[in-house]
Amino acid sequence: MTTILPECDIPIPQRRPHIVCHEPGNIILPMCNIQTVPGDMTERGCTFAGCRGVVGGPVKDVIQLVHGPIGCAYYTWGTRRNLSDVKLHRKYCFSTDLTEESVIYGGAKKLLKSIIEAHELFPEAKAVFVYSTCVVGLIGDDTEAICKQAQEKIGIPVVPFHCEGFRGVSQSLGHHIANRTLFEKVVGTKEPETTTPYDMCIIGEFNIDGDAWIVKPLFERMGVRVLSVFTGNASYADLPPMHRAKLNIVQCQRSSTYIAKMIQDKYNIPYINVSLFGMKQTAEALRDVGKFFHLEENADKVIAEELAKYQKNIDYYRKRLEGKKCFIYQGAPRAWHWIEPMRELGIETILTATTFGHKDDYEKIMSKAKPGHICIDNPNALEIEEYLVKLRPDFFIGGLKEKYLTYKLGIPFINGHSYEEGPYAGFEGFVNFARDIDVAVNSPVWKFINKPLEVS
Amino acid sequence: MARSVTINPPKMCQPMGAILAYMGVHGCVPLVHGSQGCSTYPRYNIARHFRESAEVAVSSLAEDAAVYGGAKNLTEAIKNIKSRLNPVAIGICTTCMSETIGDDVKLIAKKALADDTMKIFPASTPSYVGTHLTGYDNALRTLVETLAVKGEPNNKVNIITGIINPGDIRELKNMLRLMNVQSIFLSDISETLDTPILPGGHKPMLPDGGTKIADIADSANSLGTIAICRTAGSAAVYLKNKFNVPAVLDPAPIGVANTDRFVQNISRLSKAPIPNEIVIERGRLIDSMVDVHHYMFGRKVAIFGDPDLVSAIVRFCAEAGMNPTVAMTATKHKDFAPDIKAVNGEYKADTQILEGTDLYEFHEVVKTHGAELILGNSKGKDIADDEGVPLVRFGFPVYDRVGVYRYSIMGYNGSIYLLDQMTNAILGHKYDPNKLHQ
Ligand code: SF4
Repeated sequence: MTTILPECDIPIPQRRPHIVCHEPGNIILPMCNIQTVPGDMTERGCTFAGCRGVVGGPVKDVIQLVHGPIGCAYYTWGTRRNLSDVKLHRKYCFSTDLTEESVIYGGAKKLLKSIIEAHELFPEAKAVFVYSTCVVGLIGDDTEAICKQAQEKIGIPVVPFHCEGFRGVSQSLGHHIANRTLFEKVVGTKEPETTTPYDMCIIGEFNIDGDAWIVKPLFERMGVRVLSVFTGNASYADLPPMHRAKLNIVQCQRSSTYIAKMIQDKYNIPYINVSLFGMKQTAEALRDVGKFFHLEENADKVIAEELAKYQKNIDYYRKRLEGKKCFIYQGAPRAWHWIEPMRELGIETILTATTFGHKDDYEKIMSKAKPGHICIDNPNALEIEEYLVKLRPDFFIGGLKEKYLTYKLGIPFINGHSYEEGPYAGFEGFVNFARDIDVAVNSPVWKFINKPLEVS
Repeated sequence: MARSVTINPPKMCQPMGAILAYMGVHGCVPLVHGSQGCSTYPRYNIARHFRESAEVAVSSLAEDAAVYGGAKNLTEAIKNIKSRLNPVAIGICTTCMSETIGDDVKLIAKKALADDTMKIFPASTPSYVGTHLTGYDNALRTLVETLAVKGEPNNKVNIITGIINPGDIRELKNMLRLMNVQSIFLSDISETLDTPILPGGHKPMLPDGGTKIADIADSANSLGTIAICRTAGSAAVYLKNKFNVPAVLDPAPIGVANTDRFVQNISRLSKAPIPNEIVIERGRLIDSMVDVHHYMFGRKVAIFGDPDLVSAIVRFCAEAGMNPTVAMTATKHKDFAPDIKAVNGEYKADTQILEGTDLYEFHEVVKTHGAELILGNSKGKDIADDEGVPLVRFGFPVYDRVGVYRYSIMGYNGSIYLLDQMTNAILGHKYDPNKLHQ
């Protein structure tokens, strides 16, 4: 790899080390996990976004109370498509809605009252999660003490998350804070009712568009008992017994390896990294788990059943997509999760970018990339535009904020964050994924993009 | 609201409104002075509603700024944007972060710009004060305060739109065209947030359209300013106090009476007669109301959203013979309750007024007062589902239906469209299809 500087960055040479191009035998990783250049139209979010939006938010039966001014709460209200069978967490947006008065005199009283009132109105909630946002960190409310006080009053757990948005460089620190908080304050506080020799947790699976509902049964069919999913469609009650699993598997290895590692260090429970996207990777994950539990035959059986059901669909889409080129831009792990599955569809990934990837994410990307592949850390809107115009991929898989920029340039797009019509994980989900790519790429609308209106 | 906790608020924070105001200025890049979430979240919501790319820069404040202040980041941000995009202007808005650490944004911005080739608008928009509407008003007043200069009379009318949709702005322009009156829109997102795909590509970072800087400067020389959103009226007041430009702060032109007022205001300020085309449009609205009055008479309707739009829609519903049971807004405004009370008086209605509260309370009141139809943005979906009534979407944000930003609910034409949406929702929901043929 060599670093390169796109034209839009000529005035901002600091961006050079963040963008690399693969050159065999000369591997350089892009510089990552450092502050964004001020003034960039960055796609990054804040620590609060990583904590509440990604990891804590999917827990379905708790009051998700955002302690801060209204914006932070509003903008995370039902936006991420982490589905559940209980409506509370997506339907309701709780906030202390801090105003100037609280900024001057502190927000402690309002927080305490808010927790108590919310609990009175929603007695069915099993716990309260309190997320502190920027201004709370600056005015210095002692949320820890207030949550303790509130917990004594209402008799259900009240868990404070110190995830002020200005901390750290991106969402990434927020994931870590959520993991650590849940590990320290929740995991191990209760024993499971029963245990079996086949207990496992699926970690880093947030049930985007129903992913968990696809992958969990795959393992169950093998004879594994899924003790909890962290945190897709999770109940609060699923979290305390996580320390009694025999094995953890980690899907989103950026947002949640932390807790797997903490559980390993404290409770001696091993974890393995998996990728549950694509036929091959999902099969590999099942086989790895089968090997651990000595359920190899069961794993093979499930894989065979699934392939018999879905391989023909994949073959169909492969014929329609063979030879296409794509960009993948994701938060972090899906950028490398999807390189292999794309190949299964005959698609080459020519550019990969991540919003908040760390060194290990980029190492994984590099291990899968082909010569000439471009890799960008924390790209801004201008860089994305420049590469879309220069390289013209057949489609781009990114997030909503990039969607309409891509459309304006006449390039098909797939929402990889919330999905078009997921789930995308597992064997069955991969068929949806392939179908959505087909829909995006083969829609007739693209032929009008550069067709001028002329009198012939 | 007697509660401390806010549950389901139909309001956003100041930076959101400020960004929208800046996006209506030609060649202006919005810059959020704060942490990254504060730009990313509004971008996401704007993209979701308008289905457009919404490019916003951010100074990316972090821990070190909490200690040393954000001057370094803001300076670098301004230089970065200027050297890369060379925009006509940068519109800065502050956040709870930069306000709490106390940055002097005006001074920092002035120092960062060695020459005068680019304009900078620094608005103070802390998230813990007011709502998105306050932010819009603050940014718009900053634009006018920074730019407006006395010159020759221009024979134009200034229109302050507030946060409304591109379709609405186009409809208002159409009415002004019919009246042969020239105008300056403060500001104008009708092109920038509803851009076409044209052969040969497109520059999404600085889209075509938006109000030109020169026109904002010229707003000091207009015949008058009409703010159709009173929450966004402070720029009109400024122009009046400073340059003697008459200011009219009036309800949004929705329904017969309010649109009449809009037309009369324009005609009065510009001395332009009301053309026959406008009279015909008005007649079509009345005709459409006649056509549906027995479907709509007495129908209970509950409405929530931004105060200017809600009070105008309440009046229109009453004009259509409906029974507005609840009118709710999260942003308090002094004209809201008097507006609704006036409608109650004129139409013998008994609309409940909810101000400065949340949708949880709105839902409770809807349960007791009843509603056969709910009007509001996408955040009303669950309430409508729970009550088993249709939701007609208006306002911002609407992300679970397509095209809402494209169509107008303003003027006589827009009002017809809104009434049709409401009637069809009732018909689709309540009526035996066999009875609809004649
Ligand atoms: S950056 Fe701070 S204020 Fe902005 S959304 Fe994130 S937590 Fe909220």
